[in-house]
Formats: sequence, structure tokens, C-alpha cells
Amino acid sequence: MGDTATKPGPDQAYCVYSAKDFSSGAHPVWCPGCGDYGVLAGLERALAKLGRRPHEVVLVSGIGCSSRLPGYMSTYGFHGVHGRALPVATGIKLTRPDLEVIVVGGDGDGYSIGGNHFIHACRRNVDMLYVVMDNRVYGMTKGQPSPTTEPDWDSDIAPGGIGLRPFNPLAIAVASGANYVARGFAGDPDGLANLILDGIRWPGFAFLEVMSPCVTFRPEQREWKKMVRPSAISVVQDRAAATALVLADDGFSMGVLYRGDRASIGPALKPEITVADVEREFALGG
Amino acid sequence: MARKSIAVVFAGSGGSGAMSAGAVFLRASATAGYYGMMTQLFGAQVRGGESAALVQISTEPIETQPDHYDLFVALDWEKVEQFAAEIPLDETSAIIADPEAGAVPAGIAKSKGRMVSLKMTDPHVSRLERALHGKRVNMFAVGAVCALIGIDDQHVRSAIENIFEGKAADLIAANMNGAGAGAAAVPGLTLNLLLDPAVPAARWLISGNQALALGALRAGVRFVGCYPITPATDLVEWLAPHLQKLGGRLVLGEDELASINLTLGASYAGTPAMTVTSGPGFSLMVETLGLAVAAEIPMVLIDVMRAGPSTGIASKTEQSDVNLAIYGAHGDAPRVVLAPVSVADCINTAEYAVYVAESLQLPVIVLSDQSIGQATTVIDPGNERPKPLPRRTNGVVAGKAFKRYAIGPDPVTPMPAPGTAGYEWVAEGLTHSEVGLPASGAGIHVAQINKRAKKLQKFDPGKYWGESWGRGEVAVLAFGSTIGPAREAARRLAVGGNPIRVIALRVLSPLPITAIARALDGVRRIIVVEQNHSAQLYHHLIGQKAIPPSAESVARPGPLPYRPSEIASYIV
Repeated sequence: MGDTATKPGPDQAYCVYSAKDFSSGAHPVWCPGCGDYGVLAGLERALAKLGRRPHEVVLVSGIGCSSRLPGYMSTYGFHGVHGRALPVATGIKLTRPDLEVIVVGGDGDGYSIGGNHFIHACRRNVDMLYVVMDNRVYGMTKGQPSPTTEPDWDSDIAPGGIGLRPFNPLAIAVASGANYVARGFAGDPDGLANLILDGIRWPGFAFLEVMSPCVTFRPEQREWKKMVRPSAISVVQDRAAATALVLADDGFSMGVLYRGDRASIGPALKPEITVADVEREFALGG
Repeated sequence: MARKSIAVVFAGSGGSGAMSAGAVFLRASATAGYYGMMTQLFGAQVRGGESAALVQISTEPIETQPDHYDLFVALDWEKVEQFAAEIPLDETSAIIADPEAGAVPAGIAKSKGRMVSLKMTDPHVSRLERALHGKRVNMFAVGAVCALIGIDDQHVRSAIENIFEGKAADLIAANMNGAGAGAAAVPGLTLNLLLDPAVPAARWLISGNQALALGALRAGVRFVGCYPITPATDLVEWLAPHLQKLGGRLVLGEDELASINLTLGASYAGTPAMTVTSGPGFSLMVETLGLAVAAEIPMVLIDVMRAGPSTGIASKTEQSDVNLAIYGAHGDAPRVVLAPVSVADCINTAEYAVYVAESLQLPVIVLSDQSIGQATTVIDPGNERPKPLPRRTNGVVAGKAFKRYAIGPDPVTPMPAPGTAGYEWVAEGLTHSEVGLPASGAGIHVAQINKRAKKLQKFDPGKYWGESWGRGEVAVLAFGSTIGPAREAARRLAVGGNPIRVIALRVLSPLPITAIARALDGVRRIIVVEQNHSAQLYHHLIGQKAIPPSAESVARPGPLPYRPSEIASYIV
């Protein structure tokens, strides 16, 4: 689109951009110590390594603390309404396959109000990356239980705990057809950058669940850094085995847990007819 | 004496072939050079319910349902009575039925229409052939009706070939034979239904839903996000393969929330995009309608209205989404609301809707309804099309940092498509600063509200505001599917020396106040006609001071269509 620079290949050895080039310089609204800073850093580092220029990348989000992220990066962005980031991103990618589309958001946005879109985005398998910053709490509305909150976590709105079985996003993703399922930790931006890069490059819908502590409403999540560990297993293709893995896991295994081989939705077709041809169908003729 | 028009009903149980009878009859009449319109009535069952094809044929264009039907053809009598209220018959009507089909149901017989007995089986068909092709009498009926009104056999044959294209050759032959036998049986009937000769011309056969889709394609729409919903589904089913061949894409969302967000994403990425729905789906989409306003992203939303509220009557018409279209959304959410003035006008109104959305970077809603959308009509395709109004993607001031939501003299600010270097911006639904970062300051909030409101203040639809016919001192103001019956009522009253003006609104919001005032010049009595209980358009017009408080309101819900006589009798 008016650019003359050579388009870098996906596996180029050199790096034309630094992580800083992907920062808008705007100051995040996040609390000091929030895990989302680590995800922002991971994204900037991953994109610098990817080698695509900021204007070729679109970050799409819904509503919540983590959904503020597109404003903090120097790429194109779409900060939409609560829970609807995935369909927006799908509309972008299907009409503009040349763009790198990354969706970001939180657990309430993606698993509760946007839960249906999550399932169907996995089914559709459009080539993009979905990063969920999961802190098991609604932070922006100041501390209500989300779909991933432990059943006994006490809060003003659910005294004594919500009493519900937590949502298992990885199992849902595997069962619904996501082509890449991984878990990362916000406290390890370099490890995250690798997972992000890997997810972007893997064809189809890549889902990356990031444990991103909310130090304000869930200070106990500071302990996560002591609990995370690399996953001993990474499943290829076999969805039944991957489902067993993510259902049995305690939620602290990091890394790529599943890679599928589904073909992504095809590119837009080339026009074969014109609107004038369409109009002729209505002519009564003779 | 020959007549200028005739209104015919083919009715029967599901599987009797009433719809294909109507389709063949309409196409045969159209290729013979007549104008025509067909609407359909269905029972609620997916399969096996009663159905009726309502077809009008005329030497003049048809834009309304008739006061009564001239001819009722019963393919069988099963459950047909359920439609009695929607198929007005009177003592001038003729009712054709096979005596073997049994007794005429009371609901039909009470019309006092003249019963005409016609044995609808082809005497030349063997029992084997009947076993192979079923006992359908629909093509026999079509052949008979065409012969009665004077449509040549060649048009019937070509219509059968067209409607049954792709079907087995022996089925097509059986249908041709059936129609031929029907025509051969006519000389035995004492029934004069001859029409004035037709004047053939290069016309189109198109439904309102197809016409809206075509207009959108003409304007460059190449992405549609949608979810199935009656009575809008046939629009997107027609669009899907055509969009594909045109290099575009139709995506079936998981719900209407997804559909409108898919659409908005595609539009943000630079492709003119549209979503298509009906009332219940529109209700779900309202959330993102506000986002399109705040983030200033063009999109078109077509609402093929049906009877509401809630699930209402899926397959039947009403004009009761006016308030939702004009006011639906929290906050101040300026948008443009248009309505087609006829089936033929669906093409231009949809094309214009896309241009308005693209040029103003806001959502444009097109309010159609089941009555227009599912009416298959013979139209004279116009040569005139709306002038394209492109999206503003360039025009950044040299030497200045790019501000997507800049406050300045022009409220429409450039929106470069993603992929354009140097203009990376974030589409933002929160109150935002000029560069598009979330902000909650009072000054910024008011400035951005004013920016978006100014787009409507500067919007001038010019001649696309609406249409006006006649010069009487009494004016009927209408929109969408009530325009046709209002015009027919006006024509009849004019013949009786009572000139009536009909004013049709294409732009429902923002109201074209000046154009309406001009159209009302010299009018002493104003009657607003609409098909909803709460007089939604009337209150909108009064509230915006487009009409004086003395204006009268004729408002009643669907699903029964307005008939010309109903409007005429109110006026006089």
C-alpha cells in the first residue's frame, strides 16, 4: 500500500525493528505490578522478531484492563465493545489476509460475555493469534469473580465464593478446533514472546492463555511465579490426547500444549463475474 | 370488455405446488409483457403446511396488494381456510375448484364468490404417469388461468422451462402437458377474464430483498456478516453465491452480535460491508451500532421488518422497528435511517445507503419489510443511479501528526485503511482524544459528541430525501410498503375529482425538514399512514416539528397489509 520497502519474510534472520518501535508511548492504566505489562513487553519483543512493520499489524480487543493494550502499541488497533473482539478480528482477517491480526483481552471478556465467539473462532480456524490475559477476576469493575475464578474465592458480589466450576479455556479450545493451544506466564516476557511468535507463525487459529496476575484484587497470584513450570508434554494432532492433557493439568504447565494440522479458511476468491452479469439474471429477456 | 388487471390466488396444502404455480404464472405474464407482483402466504410449519401464492398481473406497474382477489384457484381445500382473512374475496370473485376436491370450506364460501367447477386432471395422462409424477394439478391450473386471461402458450412453456430449470426432462414435459391440458379445458368455462393487450418492454423480475442486495453490490459491498432470520434469509441466500463469484465473502456468524462485529471489522479493514437482519436480530445488534457511531466506522444494516415485539410473527410484515432504527442505542448515537419507496427503489436506496455510510463514516440503517422484501415484482429498471460518495482515506495535513478523530471544520476525518504506513490508528469505542486514546475529560467528550453530531447536521440528501406525487390540499405521508396502497388510494380519489398528494419518505432520520416543508406547501390536511400500533413515524415527525400537531395519524399493526380502499375510506 504505497510502500517500497522489501517485505521481510517470516523466518528472516535479521531484525529491522526493536521492541520499542512497537510501543505507542502511551502510559498504561494498569496498576504497578500488573501482569499485563509483561504481556505488552512480550508482544513488542515478538513483533520485533517477526519482522513485520507496525502498519501491517492490527491488534483487536474488547473491554477490560487488558483490552486497553492496543492503545499502547504503535500498530493499527481496534478497541471494540465487551466480548466481541474475535468477530471483529475475523472480519478484518477474512477481507485483508495480508494483515497480521492479533486479538488480546481478558478472561471475563473472552470466556464469559464473549464465550460463544471464542468457541466459534476456534471452529472457524481463521489464521490469527488470540492472547487471553487471565487473572481470574474482573479487574476494571473492581473485583468480581470471572469464569476462571476458583469456586471458593470470596468477594463482595459473591460472599463465600461463587461456587461454580471454573471454565477450562484450553479444553474448550482443543475441543472446538483451535489449531494451536499454549499457556504462558506474564512474569516471563521472553518466554511469552517465543510463544506469541510461534502462535502467529502457526497456521490457523492460535490460542495463547497467559496467566497474568492481578496484584490488586488477587494479590495471592504473586505466588504464581513459584508454581509455573514447563509442560512435560506437547501433543501434536491428537485432539483426544490433548484434551486429556489439559483436563488433567493443574493449570501451571507452560508451553505449547497442542498443535493441530487443520487447514485455515481459504483466501478470498478472485472475481469471476461483474455486477452487470448479476443484473442480467433479472432481465426477462426475449 | 377486457380488464386492465387481475389478482389471482393459487392455494393449497403444502406440496400442492401453489408456489411454483404462482411463479410460473407470474413469469409467463411478465414475458408476455405485463407488469406483475407475487407475494406468498405460508403456514408456520416448515414442511406440509398450507400455502398460497398471491399474484397480480396488470398493464400498469403494481405497488400494492389489491382490495380483493378476482380469481381464487384451489389446488385442494386442505387448511386453505386459515388464510381467509388474508385473501379477501367478494361476490365479484370467481372461485375455481375441482369438484373431486370436496366441499368448499365455509370461510371461502361466505365470500359469495362465483363457484366455477373445473376438473383439473388431464384426461390423456395414464395412471402410470400419474404415479410417476404425482397428482399435482398446479400446472393444469396455471395453463387454465393463462388461457383465461389471454396469455399465449409459448410464454407458459418458457416460464416452465425457466422455473424448473435443472429438473428432470420428463418432469418438465409432464408440467408442459399439464399446462396444455389446462388451456384446452378453458373453452368449456363461461368466464371472461381477458386482459387488455400487454406492451412488452425490457423489464426485470426481482424481489425487494434481491433488489436491496443488488444495490449493495452496485455500491461495492463485498463483505456481509449475517445470521439466518426470517424474512431476511432469502436476501442473504441470494447474496452468498453472488458475492463469492464477485470475489467477496459472506460469513455466517454464530449470532447477530458476531454478525455485526464481523461486518464492522471488514469495514474497518477497508471493504464496504453490510449486515442483514430482522427485528429480533436488530435488537441484538444495537450494542455494536453504538460502537460504529463512536469509532466512526461505516456500515450498512438492513432490517427486513417483521411483526414484533419479541419473536412476533416471523413470516409476516409490520413497520414497527422505526423507533429502534432511529433511537436504538445508549448515549447520543447519530445514524442515518433510510427506507425504500418501492420494490424497484430498493436498488437505489441500498446503493445510496452504502455511499452515505462510507462518506459519513457512520452506520446507515435501511428499513425494509417483509411485504416489500418478499414481493417478487416486474419492474422497469431505471437508468439513473446515485452518485458514488467515497470513503475519505487520505487528506492528512502535511507536517502534522495524524489524528484520526481530529476536531476541525470538517467533522468527517480521514480513516486510512490498516496497512497504510505512517497512520497507525486505533478504532475506539470509549470516549477518546483526537488521536484515539481513551479519555474521560469533559472537554474531549463534548468535542467528540459534537463532531459526530455535525456529520448529520451537514448531511443533505438532496433529491434522495423522498418522493412526492400529486398536488392536492390533502397529503398522505408514508414510508416503505404503505406508499404503494397510499398511491393507489390517491389515484382512485383523483379519478373521483378529489386530488390527493402522496409524500414518501426515503430519509427517515435525520428528517429532511426543509424538503418535507416544500412538499407540504399548500397542504391543509396531513395524514401519516404507518403499519404499527404506536404511531412511531408520526411521533417522530411531530417531535422533530416536521409536521404540525393538527396532522392526523393512521397507525395499526400488521400483519394484514394496508389495502388501497382502507386508506381511501379514511381520507374521505
